[in-house]
Amino acid sequence: MTLQEYTSSSHNFEECMKCTVCTAYCPVVPANPKYPGPKQAGPDGERLRLKDPFFFEETLKYCLNCKRCEVACPSGVKVADIIQAARIRYSKSKPKLRDRILASTDFMGTLARPFAPVVNGMTGLGATKAVLDATFAIDKHRTFPKYAFKGFESWFRKEAPDQSRFPEQVAYFHGCYVNYNFPQLGKDFVKVMNAAGIGVSLLDKEKCCGVAMISNGMIDGAKKHAAHNVAVLGKAVESGKKILTTSSTCTFTMRDEYPELLGIDNGKVRDSITLATRYLYEKIVAGEVKLPFKKDFHAKIAYHTPCHMEKLGWGVFSIGLLKMIPGIELTVLDSNCCGIAGTYGFKKENYEVSQAIGKPLFDQIARVAPDYVACDCETCKWQIEMSTGLEVRNPISVLAEALDI
Amino acid sequence: MEFDVMIIGGGLAGLTAGLALQEKGKRTAIVSAGQNALHFSSGAFGLLDREDPFGAVAELDEDHPYARIGADSLRTFAEKAKGLFARAGIELNGNPLGNGFRLTPQGALKRAWLTLPEVDLFPDEAAVKGHKVLIVNLLGYLDFNTSFLALGLEKKGCTCRVETLRLPEMERLRQNPSEMRSVNIARVMDNAWVKVAGEVKSLLKDEDWVILPQVFGLRDATVPSQIRETVPARVLFVGTMPPSVPGMRTQMQLKRAYEALGGTFLMGDEVLSAETGEARVRSVETRNIGRIGAKDFILATGSYFSKGIASDMNHVYEPLFAADVIQDEGRGSWYDPNFFNPQSFLSYGVATTPGFKVLKEGVPFENLYAAGSVLGGCRSLALGCGAGVALVTALSVAETI
Amino acid sequence: MSNRKDNEFDVIIVGGGITGAGTARDCALRGLNVLLIERHDIATGATGRNHGLLHSGARYAVTDRESATECIEENMILRRIARHCVDETDGFFITLPEDDLAYQTKFVESCTAAGIRAEIIDPKEAIRLEPSVNPDLIGAVRVPDGSVDPFRLCAANMLDAKLHGAKILVYHEVIEFIKEGDTVRGVRVRDNRSREIKDFYAPVTVNAAGIWGHHVAALAGANIGMFPAKGALLIFAHRVNSIVINRCRKPANADILVPGDTVCVIGTTSTKVPFEECDNMYVTPDEVDLLLTEGAKLAPALATTRILRAYAGVRPLVSADNDPSGRNISRGIVCLDHETRDGIKGFVSITGGKLMTYRLMGEQAADLVCKKLNINKKCETAVLPLPGSEGGKTEEVSKKIWSVPSAPQKAAAGRAGTRAKVIPLDNPLDQALVCECEEVSSGEVRYALDHLEVDNLVDLRRRTRVGMGTCQGGLCACRAAGMIAEARGCAEKAEADLKGFLNERWKGMYPIAWGNTLREAEYTQWVYNYVLGLNEQ
Repeated sequence: MTLQEYTSSSHNFEECMKCTVCTAYCPVVPANPKYPGPKQAGPDGERLRLKDPFFFEETLKYCLNCKRCEVACPSGVKVADIIQAARIRYSKSKPKLRDRILASTDFMGTLARPFAPVVNGMTGLGATKAVLDATFAIDKHRTFPKYAFKGFESWFRKEAPDQSRFPEQVAYFHGCYVNYNFPQLGKDFVKVMNAAGIGVSLLDKEKCCGVAMISNGMIDGAKKHAAHNVAVLGKAVESGKKILTTSSTCTFTMRDEYPELLGIDNGKVRDSITLATRYLYEKIVAGEVKLPFKKDFHAKIAYHTPCHMEKLGWGVFSIGLLKMIPGIELTVLDSNCCGIAGTYGFKKENYEVSQAIGKPLFDQIARVAPDYVACDCETCKWQIEMSTGLEVRNPISVLAEALDI
Repeated sequence: MEFDVMIIGGGLAGLTAGLALQEKGKRTAIVSAGQNALHFSSGAFGLLDREDPFGAVAELDEDHPYARIGADSLRTFAEKAKGLFARAGIELNGNPLGNGFRLTPQGALKRAWLTLPEVDLFPDEAAVKGHKVLIVNLLGYLDFNTSFLALGLEKKGCTCRVETLRLPEMERLRQNPSEMRSVNIARVMDNAWVKVAGEVKSLLKDEDWVILPQVFGLRDATVPSQIRETVPARVLFVGTMPPSVPGMRTQMQLKRAYEALGGTFLMGDEVLSAETGEARVRSVETRNIGRIGAKDFILATGSYFSKGIASDMNHVYEPLFAADVIQDEGRGSWYDPNFFNPQSFLSYGVATTPGFKVLKEGVPFENLYAAGSVLGGCRSLALGCGAGVALVTALSVAETI
Repeated sequence: MSNRKDNEFDVIIVGGGITGAGTARDCALRGLNVLLIERHDIATGATGRNHGLLHSGARYAVTDRESATECIEENMILRRIARHCVDETDGFFITLPEDDLAYQTKFVESCTAAGIRAEIIDPKEAIRLEPSVNPDLIGAVRVPDGSVDPFRLCAANMLDAKLHGAKILVYHEVIEFIKEGDTVRGVRVRDNRSREIKDFYAPVTVNAAGIWGHHVAALAGANIGMFPAKGALLIFAHRVNSIVINRCRKPANADILVPGDTVCVIGTTSTKVPFEECDNMYVTPDEVDLLLTEGAKLAPALATTRILRAYAGVRPLVSADNDPSGRNISRGIVCLDHETRDGIKGFVSITGGKLMTYRLMGEQAADLVCKKLNINKKCETAVLPLPGSEGGKTEEVSKKIWSVPSAPQKAAAGRAGTRAKVIPLDNPLDQALVCECEEVSSGEVRYALDHLEVDNLVDLRRRTRVGMGTCQGGLCACRAAGMIAEARGCAEKAEADLKGFLNERWKGMYPIAWGNTLREAEYTQWVYNYVLGLNEQ
């Protein structure tokens, strides 16, 4: 190699010009003065930590890992990756029981689902919320996502044989949320795909993508999940299938966080993992798919771009797809963080910050006054529903409703 | 994805080209690898640091973009630029066919052509003489240096009084040792400006001017004018160390206007490679979207900072198309040892045809145009023509397409 | 002594580098009334322009036993007395395939004979301990090298001298010696800022002016044959290595890579230069190429690491033979009593030596001064810790002061050691960062301006690291200049300072301005020369 041809380093913090654009777009900085800000926590702090690990600050945990600093950075510095990698490497604080509970989305789901009515009743009760608040520091304002009595996977088992009638096949990574909390989205997905002439199969036992484990410092667990998922995704890819998802966060995690943060090689599957909205949009634009829409459909929708969707840069596909629905009145909201950031907003200590971060978004939604909000992320859904009182639907569900079948 | 025109770079040149082309009914996309130089704006646009910018075109090097456009077309584009901004909801100050002056944070006067709404444009140097000035800063804000501003103004025959405000609203921000910055203060000021205006009013004695840092009107562009209505003196908003609050707001306004016209803005995406052949660009490959095809392409990737041009130990190069770059051989000739002298390296950039078609090994691409600071042959910093070149070349290229 | 006029001292020391500072401290600790005179700022010569290597002495073990022994002894002393200036990193001497592995045996034997712990380790183990080391290495020896911050060390010596009554005059230049016959009675100095001429008297004057000592001696009528040997170095933007890496071979160009504070430094070259050039050192493109090529052999990552700046210093070698490279000259200490040597009474020169042996040089000079003054006091500099060095590691020191230290408090403790407790850092206004790359807070800056003889921004940088980080002052220079303007009530000088500072930063940047450094340069140009319009002032 030629000397000095590239002058970057691990996580390229040397590309930083100290221009501070990252902090101007960080949603946490204006809401939480304890957070050092992306520049200080990221590239600046990295130099100091290399000098002496003592310069690591536990306040880096306030980073939402929303990646908006990376989207804004004119130098292409992986600011959030630097921060998360530093937490993984230097943090001495062990995840609390509360964090483990919040992070173990699939384990909790498996346990809770058979008792769904009881659990839902309990987690919805004021008394239980107070206990969660006091004992586990899970904020009492939060409404736990309800657990579905019958999971998506068991519903799908009956549908599976019928799917083989379609010439084109895709694999669906449904994620914990669809399976345990909101199977309807999965059903909508199958409906839409079938309407597009595409059959659906599930992976050979997917596991949680691990995003909640990453943000709660459970890196070993996240690595195990990642390795497992890469293996089962690999099988689907080998059989010639694309892997579709309905969650921007699961998608982003499996494509980019696996190699960047967890060091799990996903090279063989990465480019095959895509959001259902992107897949459909491209098929429709290429003339390969034509969807039948209702003639009398009407909805006033505000689209919210989740942080990881912004990072993926795929908002154009979901927006483009929604725009194809006749009778839709669509407002694209300014791209702002809603403040939930997965499990972050559930924690009692983060509640106020979380709501402060989301305020500009909630205010804009109130001004637009849509029938409902569309968005590709389940945790944004909880936050926006709790904070605005409006329903939030995945674009795939919007599509499913607008289909004339 | 397919577009009529694919614009690489979402700064002033890219957005201007995008707006102009959308207005002409073209389907365009802008891919922007992060935010851009508008965030470091001085609050003013420079056309050319000469008393008569149009008359001075004849004296410029033949490679200078204005020399290629010619004085007459330069006039036309200069007027169009102001109109384009107005349609995007930004009323720039100034006569597009002449120059004025802006007051710098160092208290110097620099020639300026058009300024962002809250930034004063003075017709001549005399307009800054003999004022009584109240300069107000916020406690602990280090990026606005009142002593230098006062020094500069006093050299121009003004008398200055400096006051510092301590607002309880800022105390929360102060808990963070690194975030007492223009943009964060501006977020606080979106709500606290009424209080500031009131405090300034009560501090005012016999001063006819009040100077405040540019930390007002990040979200709501009308805040500066509301402050002006409250305070019974002429209120000037003077620049701070970056990021620039008016610049950042302008970027957001331009982007919104572009999207409102149907443009597709791909923020945080990056062109990784291009497919070319027979002197044409067929498509580009971006990190997030993959292949994007278009009939025409505009290279508006900026200069070194924005990575539109790059350098190694011995060469300056254009990283995407390996386009020809105007430069001096050997890095020994790139610099002047005095930081304050004009630097040769600042004039390097892409070589084009007179119509701004990008050259590679001397041969122009038929459908690839360059606009803005990626262009070579102009010492934009020394000539004060950075924004002017961005606007004018973008409009020129948009017209050609 | 009480009737003494305020321009009379026991000893005058000429030179504000580490040798002068060490001599001043030693003399002050022995109770002498000391005046130190420096024509610029502290540590502006070779003191501030070297690797910052805490030599174990291993480098000299084969070729210069005496220097090696001195080094290891002083090394161990500095670990005790200068804890906040020293980073105990350890060092490797690596053998690459192109080197002769047989040299390693000789090297280890020589080290052992000089009292330097030298332990041969497996190359694989070396890679494990220091992942940046060239993986092709065929041999490694571990020695007690380390790094030392020369600015901090010099400032701490000055401070201790001051705390013991010494008077420090920076920006004062000796223009002639006041002599009576063959006896030096004092010095006539010019205040380089006010241009005022002042006379100072003392029975003994010590010439500790480094390479400029040649000129100082000449003013007194003595000739010291000195040998200015330029050494160029490169600073990389972050710590690539955490253990010092040397080449296990006869000392040559660019064979030491030292991690120091937030950066690492590769060096040096060695070129004979004329005395006229000593005041204006610059680094040539050839030197940069050589340093990079050789440096990448020690740690291949250097080939792709951003370079912050290039700089060069002049070694004050006392010439002994006609060796054109200057490498075979002893780094040994030269303490000259000009009375016995040249018949000039009341005049002493302390020269040669190196950063590592500054304390010993101070001791030898002070011994000679005391002998001349008939004072019988023991040297204590080897046992008394420097101010700031009474504690342990940064973590321990900062937690002792603040229990839960904030980031700016940690950074201050890293720089000032236990002295951080006297820096105002308790409220948010004081903790607000001026330099974000190096985490220098407003409190630190204000303290330096008020108490540490800071004239300008460059001086401030030497005491606080303001502007020494990645952006090289791009972000903080203006902030710091604003604080100087307010503290001193003189915006005009502060503005001139700001320009001087940016030029001083640029001087180190342009020899290596490509890639990210060129990007940074463009940004800084834009901000200062366009947005601020500083070039118009």
